[in-house]
Amino acid sequence: MSRGLSTRGTVQILAGVLLQVQDGHLELAATDMELSLRAKLDGNVEGEGSAVVPGRLLTEIVRLLPEEQVVLEHRVEESTVYVTSGSSESRLRTYAVEDFPRLPDPATSALSTLEAEPLLDTISRVSRAASRDESRPVLTGILVRFEGSSLVMAATDSYRMAVKETSVGGSPPDLDAIVPARALDELRRIAAGAGEIQLGTLDNHVIFGVGDTWLTTRRIDGQFPNYRQLLPEAFEHEVKLPRDEFLDVIRRAAVMAQRSTPLRLRFAEGELTVSAQTQDIGEAREQMPIGFSGEPLEIGFNPVWLRDGIESVVEDELTLKLINALRPAVIAETSGDFWYLIMPIRLAG
Amino acid sequence: MRLIVARCEVSYTGRLTAFLPASTRLLLLKSDGSVLVHADAGGYKPLNWMTPPTVIEEADGSIVVRKRSGKTEDRLEIRLHEVLSDVAHEMGEAAGLEKDGVERHLQEELAARPEALVEGLRLVRREWPTDVGPVDLMCRDADDGWVAVEIKRVATIDAVEQLSRYLERIQLDPALATCRGILAAEQLKPQAVTLAEGRGIECVEVDLAVLREEREPELTLFSLAR
Repeated sequence: MSRGLSTRGTVQILAGVLLQVQDGHLELAATDMELSLRAKLDGNVEGEGSAVVPGRLLTEIVRLLPEEQVVLEHRVEESTVYVTSGSSESRLRTYAVEDFPRLPDPATSALSTLEAEPLLDTISRVSRAASRDESRPVLTGILVRFEGSSLVMAATDSYRMAVKETSVGGSPPDLDAIVPARALDELRRIAAGAGEIQLGTLDNHVIFGVGDTWLTTRRIDGQFPNYRQLLPEAFEHEVKLPRDEFLDVIRRAAVMAQRSTPLRLRFAEGELTVSAQTQDIGEAREQMPIGFSGEPLEIGFNPVWLRDGIESVVEDELTLKLINALRPAVIAETSGDFWYLIMPIRLAG
Repeated sequence: MRLIVARCEVSYTGRLTAFLPASTRLLLLKSDGSVLVHADAGGYKPLNWMTPPTVIEEADGSIVVRKRSGKTEDRLEIRLHEVLSDVAHEMGEAAGLEKDGVERHLQEELAARPEALVEGLRLVRREWPTDVGPVDLMCRDADDGWVAVEIKRVATIDAVEQLSRYLERIQLDPALATCRGILAAEQLKPQAVTLAEGRGIECVEVDLAVLREEREPELTLFSLAR
């Protein structure tokens, strides 16, 4: 629940967790106005009512409770919630409950039920390509689009782009939205191990349900780059590489690619040489045999972006598709439903 | 500006009371009425200070600085035990603080190459005057449309407001009624981008080193024009 709390201290109520007792259940809710979380808890509940308490403090208190059972008691006249467990008692002053924002109600949305695994797998394959730069909001999101029985997700920070198409069963919802990558990463955490996820839309929000836990996120307005147009139609070289071995070589060489220096990949007849050099620090160089023929090609990549792309591949073998040292390269799988485009970095000298 | 180095004690009464026992200190009395008491330690911050407007009364062996603060009065009383130095300098007209030259350099580079902002853009005039201040560049686009460009190192909401004000005045002229705005900056704050988009102002991120051709632009999958 604490992931839904606002970390910006400007609006106090958004740093609070709403505790609401209704129909014999305790429901917790938190929101930062972009992402909202609400969850029902089982327990012995008496009375009805609601209170908002400081979320971080409640989280800390609960984390350190001495016993498995905890009693929450709201004393309205004192504007205080008592948290008691064993001999430990904490008192939290409450915020004004009427200030807590009204959250989208999943009951008012038409929901579709999806298998959790393909949805979560698709998120995990693309989310790291999303931008963290808040000045370009569209790029901080993941394009989520259902096309027939297929789910397409795409994410890009303009330097790399990951696209995954996944076949989904059931009756997929009519959804074509840019969803904050942060919210989808949170969904992966909440829904880990779950069998099904409910998905719906409400006004400008997308709603995900996992059992009694609901995650609501705001859609990002804007135009997502046309990922199909960005995929080059033809390549000069297609090199098949063993995923794990290639990843290990990249990781080792990347240790010496400090201070934003690129990794150098030199493709020559039957051999790939990966090297990195940082002035005043040192250098690394490693070869691996590959099936490459033709004129040698040297290309530079950001080591983190390249590593992310390789790690996003789940098959034992990947194909690295190259045009030249200044055009995008593609990391692809044999299955043909995953692409990771990556722009090179200009190499000096 | 009057600079006094003196062995003195200082007492302040007002929102609180404070007393500095006798020691050697630097007293700065500025022509705008500011009075600052500095020690030779403690960083840039004065031990005591009074902001203008103030009334400064000097009597034998003491300087009293008074300032009205609502219904009460703030009072700084400096008792001079020994004056070691007392000099006054005519400082002339104040020059504004120039934080860095980036904005000026960006304006120079973009004036020379406005097409770096938008293809086909050409310069009409730098510092185009309006009655609320000059806009950095006035240009015309490929279709001969007027484009006002405001340049910042870091573009904030204030920059959007500033360009909006210029546009409002510029568009009063029927010949320039369709003038649009571009906010160009090395760094654009997300709130500024949102506000600018809402007002139909285009935001363009620029890199001084790239404009100067000191560095090649980074390779990207697609154009980052907003």
